[in-house]
Amino acid sequence: MTQQITESATDPDAPRTPGPARRPSFEPRRLAFALRRPLATLPWVVCAVALLLPVVGFLLVALSPRAVGQGGSWFTLDNFRQVLSGWTAQALLDSLLVGIGAAVLATAVATALAWATERTTLRGRALWRLLLWALLLAPSYLESLGWSWLVEPQGVLARLLGHNPTALYSVVFGPVGVVWVLASRGVPFAYLAVAGLIRNMGREFEDAARTHGASRLATVRVVLPILGPGLWAGLAIVFAESISDYGVAGTLAAQAHFPIATFAMEQSIATFPAQFGPASAMGWLLLLLVALALYVQRRSLRGRSFAVLSGRTRPAVRSRLTPLRQALGLTGAIGFFGLALGVPAFGAAAAALLPSDGRVSLSTLTLAHFSAVLHSGELTGPLGYSAALAALAACAATVLGAVAGRALARGGDGRSARALDMLLITAIALPSTLLACGYIFAFNLPLASDLGFNLYGTSSLLFLGYLAGVVPTSARLLSGTLGQVNGSLSEAARVHGRRPAAAWTGSVLPLVAGGLVWSWLIAFCGTLLELPVSQLLAPPGQEPLSVAITKHLAGYDLGGGAAMTDLVVLGALAVVALALLLLRRLNPAAHRLEALT
Amino acid sequence: MRVRPVVIKRLLAASTAVALLGGAAACGTSSAASESSSSGKPVPLVVYSAQGYDKAVTQAFQKATGIPVKLVDDSTGPLLARVQAEQANPQWGALWVDGDEAFAALDKQGMLVKGFAPKAALNSAGKAVQPADKSYVPTGLTATAALVYDSTKTPKPPTGWQDLLSAAWKGQTGMNDPSVSGPTYPFVAGMLRQLGGDSQGQAYFSRLKANGLHVYQTNGDTLHALQTGAIRLALIQSSAGLAAGLKDPHIKIAYLPKVTSLPSVIGIDAKASAQVRSEAERFASYVLSAQGQHVMLTGDPGGDSLYWPVVQGVAPNRALPELSAVPTQAIDPYVWGPKEGRINSWFTSTIVR
Repeated sequence: MTQQITESATDPDAPRTPGPARRPSFEPRRLAFALRRPLATLPWVVCAVALLLPVVGFLLVALSPRAVGQGGSWFTLDNFRQVLSGWTAQALLDSLLVGIGAAVLATAVATALAWATERTTLRGRALWRLLLWALLLAPSYLESLGWSWLVEPQGVLARLLGHNPTALYSVVFGPVGVVWVLASRGVPFAYLAVAGLIRNMGREFEDAARTHGASRLATVRVVLPILGPGLWAGLAIVFAESISDYGVAGTLAAQAHFPIATFAMEQSIATFPAQFGPASAMGWLLLLLVALALYVQRRSLRGRSFAVLSGRTRPAVRSRLTPLRQALGLTGAIGFFGLALGVPAFGAAAAALLPSDGRVSLSTLTLAHFSAVLHSGELTGPLGYSAALAALAACAATVLGAVAGRALARGGDGRSARALDMLLITAIALPSTLLACGYIFAFNLPLASDLGFNLYGTSSLLFLGYLAGVVPTSARLLSGTLGQVNGSLSEAARVHGRRPAAAWTGSVLPLVAGGLVWSWLIAFCGTLLELPVSQLLAPPGQEPLSVAITKHLAGYDLGGGAAMTDLVVLGALAVVALALLLLRRLNPAAHRLEALT
Repeated sequence: MRVRPVVIKRLLAASTAVALLGGAAACGTSSAASESSSSGKPVPLVVYSAQGYDKAVTQAFQKATGIPVKLVDDSTGPLLARVQAEQANPQWGALWVDGDEAFAALDKQGMLVKGFAPKAALNSAGKAVQPADKSYVPTGLTATAALVYDSTKTPKPPTGWQDLLSAAWKGQTGMNDPSVSGPTYPFVAGMLRQLGGDSQGQAYFSRLKANGLHVYQTNGDTLHALQTGAIRLALIQSSAGLAAGLKDPHIKIAYLPKVTSLPSVIGIDAKASAQVRSEAERFASYVLSAQGQHVMLTGDPGGDSLYWPVVQGVAPNRALPELSAVPTQAIDPYVWGPKEGRINSWFTSTIVR
């Protein structure tokens, strides 16, 4: 009967009397309908497999090591008792303070920078945006390396000044240096979280305030709460990224004898025998810190709507800066990027251009390391492998990030949205090594093999590991962009007869295309040089790019490793420039919206 | 209890999505799944290795025997972490890293094949580090920690371990963190042993710290500190010091009495199938053969190839002194291996911090 009704519905001329039974012909529309729900569910299944299983797998070790084949106890709290005493407790406290400092500093700098580039006529706006990408590309250890080369005893500054910069050394190799490097690394994340809001927020709120006689300060007090979602998203992301970063913890902080939780966790795993239990317990405690941050974020945003972008929104007009303000703005931008980007760029360039013995003089500069890397062919295979996986992971992260970001933006105070938010921020807060261990625990159980689920040891699992690392950031960034779009836009298109997909692509996509492209680029660049997951999940016979570079560095070929890093960063910057160029060409609507003055 | 249709629909949708995902996963380059089913035909041997010459050796082995090898080439720390995380379901066939303490611990956990020794004539140094139960195979020797210095800045290096505690060397000595650097724990353990025990050795390192000891992450970091002048004495693995000496002729090495011998070791997974086990044994035998030793000695000439062979009749690289001229000691890995976690924790919380 169902078949008959369907046939009648699709073919008005079909006979309405029952005929002889026949096999239904293949209908693409029917297949599409049948697959619609599974395909809609697929992102959530991927999220569960890519994020939930490894997170649960790793966190389970602290409470029930036997459940994942790591000990004889089904339930224990010993791991928590162990890490809540001695230097690991101090490391956790340090992480909390460093995370707060980096989040506040990064969000403040990012907001100022976003306002200057999106709402004023500050010169060099395209350059500052490109430099933000460059900052995003540079691994945190590279910035740490740059600072080390600059201020270390007998380093570059010492040779220029004629004496060791002891005071500067003690500042850099301590809490201040750690907070600064983490904050500068977090600025792009916070910028992306607030820049879209600032760009798309109409000018009517400022105009209304000024019309009613508000001073500049009072106007700021009106506008800042509107930016609440972006500011809190920026704070939360930078906080989570900072407390989970190992590049700085393992370099500046370690040499300064300033213990940070990630360093303690990595040491627990790197040592033999590996202490997965205490590392997992520290993971729980890091998550507790993130949960507290999310709680503060939720309380601050509860009961308020931030949907300010609608069909009636008027594009904002850029404020024309006076020469004095132009000069001040440029000084600030140059100062920030000089410190945040110039120092690591110097470190990478110096390491690649100087001979292995590290002596600094113009006559010793050489391109031999670049030449050796390019001629050896050691870069080609790993680069191709990592670039392909990074591109795939970026595509998947953008799709999943958009789905999850939309759910986050529309979830309000719903339980599912909160659970998703917690899962995403958990994946950010857990250091990558621990997440990778979670993958092994979850996907390499004998039960998985018995069931024929042999993901471990394949490129597919490495892909999922990369995906888990970038989906949370994509989702949180896109939640800001998608949360701004008022539902009335696509509803208006639907009222005028557009189908749902066409309505969305015609009215919403042009507004969010920039965010999607940026999200893809972040995921691509973040994955290309990812190390911890690559080390633990790379399939036998395949060598990811970061592992190849690390081999050079560990083999005391600092120049070769730095040259490889430089070439990869330059290549990735070219991809970023090309993608942004294509965006401008292919999405004129977004271009016009952004470029209106 | 009646299940609502909407719940059934959601479950069906989720299961279909899992099937789609599983299909995508099947497109990956599966290694484990395909290995267990074949009979007679060579299956890929998965080798986890941290040796600089491993790529050359595995390629030569594959060419010589026709057995395909899949290599996971990384540092000792990540490889050992991976091995331990895989404990419930090991994916490796052979593990090849420096230091036998970890192998002794793995042996005690029943993770290694026992009773296998290649038919190679080991020299006295090789026999000294061969375990009684033949649960792993020594393939070469280095020493830890060699004293590395720049002869232009340090014309008169210290001659004994106690010298490092004097005011003349205050703030001038650097070493690696044993929790991060694989070859450093045997150095620490060796010092504890030769100074009379844990408490005496720990007191020595505490005094070294009081005299300004610098602790870096790895050999590369410590050598960098030596070259910039941040330190004047680096305590690192002999092969790393010799490699630095090849690049910079001013870098010299001294061996304070005594240094601890550090064997490179191959272990075979106890849970491996009979076929993989047989292939892993052939691999270990190949490594100790004349052909394999030649590849080891030439595969990484500026790094790990700077080792003392453990096979009779095989000469080391010319840059190495006679092993008999180096004051070495061998420590019992079955005594010091189980202590590694506790001693590393003490070092981290007391010396590194």
